[in-house]
Amino acid sequence: MTEKFHEELSELKKQVEDMGELAKEMLETSIKALKEQDVMLAKSIIAKCETIRILDHTIEEETLKLITLHQPMASDMRLVATMLKMITYITRIGRYGNDIAKIAIDLSEEAHIGKLVSLPQMSAIVCSMIDDALLAFETQDISHIADFKEREDTIDAMRYSIYREGISYMMENPKYITRCTQYILIARYLERCGDHACKMAEKIHYMVTGEHKEIDYKSCCSPNQDTF
Amino acid sequence: MLNIFSVRKDSTTESEKAAALPAKDETMRIEGLDISYGSNHAVKGVKMSIKPKSVTAFIGPSGCGKSTLLRALNRMNDEIDGCRTDGVVSWKGVNILDPKVDPVALRSKVGMVFQKPNPFPKSIYENVAYGPRIHGITDKAQLDKIVESSLRNAALWDEVKDRLEESAMGLSGGQQQRMCIARALAVEPEVILMDEPCSALDPIATAKIEDLINELKKDYTVIIVTHNMQQAARVSDYTGFMYLGELIEFGETEQIFQKPKEKLTENYITGRFG
Repeated sequence: MTEKFHEELSELKKQVEDMGELAKEMLETSIKALKEQDVMLAKSIIAKCETIRILDHTIEEETLKLITLHQPMASDMRLVATMLKMITYITRIGRYGNDIAKIAIDLSEEAHIGKLVSLPQMSAIVCSMIDDALLAFETQDISHIADFKEREDTIDAMRYSIYREGISYMMENPKYITRCTQYILIARYLERCGDHACKMAEKIHYMVTGEHKEIDYKSCCSPNQDTF
Repeated sequence: MLNIFSVRKDSTTESEKAAALPAKDETMRIEGLDISYGSNHAVKGVKMSIKPKSVTAFIGPSGCGKSTLLRALNRMNDEIDGCRTDGVVSWKGVNILDPKVDPVALRSKVGMVFQKPNPFPKSIYENVAYGPRIHGITDKAQLDKIVESSLRNAALWDEVKDRLEESAMGLSGGQQQRMCIARALAVEPEVILMDEPCSALDPIATAKIEDLINELKKDYTVIIVTHNMQQAARVSDYTGFMYLGELIEFGETEQIFQKPKEKLTENYITGRFG
């Protein structure tokens, strides 16, 4: 029975890893579709949103079933608790990919303002965080998430820079308002995805060490918490 | 107050010196406890302290020595031929393993509830009144009071108050076990030892005993041996994991079940062996 439980647990863990990969791919591809103004690519992302929803639902159900039937303890319990939280963060990342893809379709008919460099750069950092969080989850090696605070700070700075740039363009020429508002919105989505990657990292840290630690966000104050 | 310890003040032995009064936050202190059945070394150098008015659970695979350790705490191992116990179990400043300690009097202060309910073939009333009677209480009014309060404390009074004269053998398994707990409480113990008290019970009876354990710790120190790890996690404040006679890890239950320090404990509670 215990062997069966551990087999099922491993299988669920693999599903969470696959789900994470899918969400990251959706986010990465949505930015590609935005930059290249590729409507077909954007539509292919929207089609994947349902898969993320179904995975969230089935993994949660299977995890709750495991808790009910086997009452996991210690590291097994921490893995189960982490998976339950991770699927929520992953689902949100996938949905942001979906939202960016929709914006990509809306913005596909007219040329971008400038070369659209910052958003893909920001996306690359966010995707690297998602990759590393998933790698730490898979290997139980928290060294992959050790520099998340620095990466999170970089993302915050990039979002603010894009915001300032967007405002400047809008002030320069009101016909850019719609387009620039969408860029600012996408930057905000990417920043949220970075936050979700950080939350995954915190849970993975707990899963591996049993210690709760919060990434020390600049915008958030938690004086009594251990931080990364 | 029963005279448990027939230790004279002018004859301080090495054993008594070893059993100096436990610290305020401990009720019993176990040091270097070794128990053997012939050549079988069942408990090896166990050292731990038991906190008062708390529930301490011993867990571990079959044959790890947890029941043997529990039985040492009220000298029940004395009844087993060939069982040898060395070390110190300090309680109220006395090493209770000292041969001068009267085991019968000790057991009235350190009561025990066994795996299988063992009612005497007598009425419910007589079962509970048996211990106080043995200790010389004959006054009917006083016995009535003890029986009622013991049954109330064992959460059984409402179910049996109208049939106290009926045979205890007619009670359900769960009721019999609670009656055995009432019988243990009737002699006013301070510590209650429970050796897998729910293993012969259905889930509903088990839940009642677990609720009762939670109530009992307000007034008593409870030490329980259980095979059921979820039960240990639910009812105890402290947990000791034993393996091959050794106490591998001892700590707060929450820590043991969420973040054990020892790999062996981790492997056992996650079902990777045992």
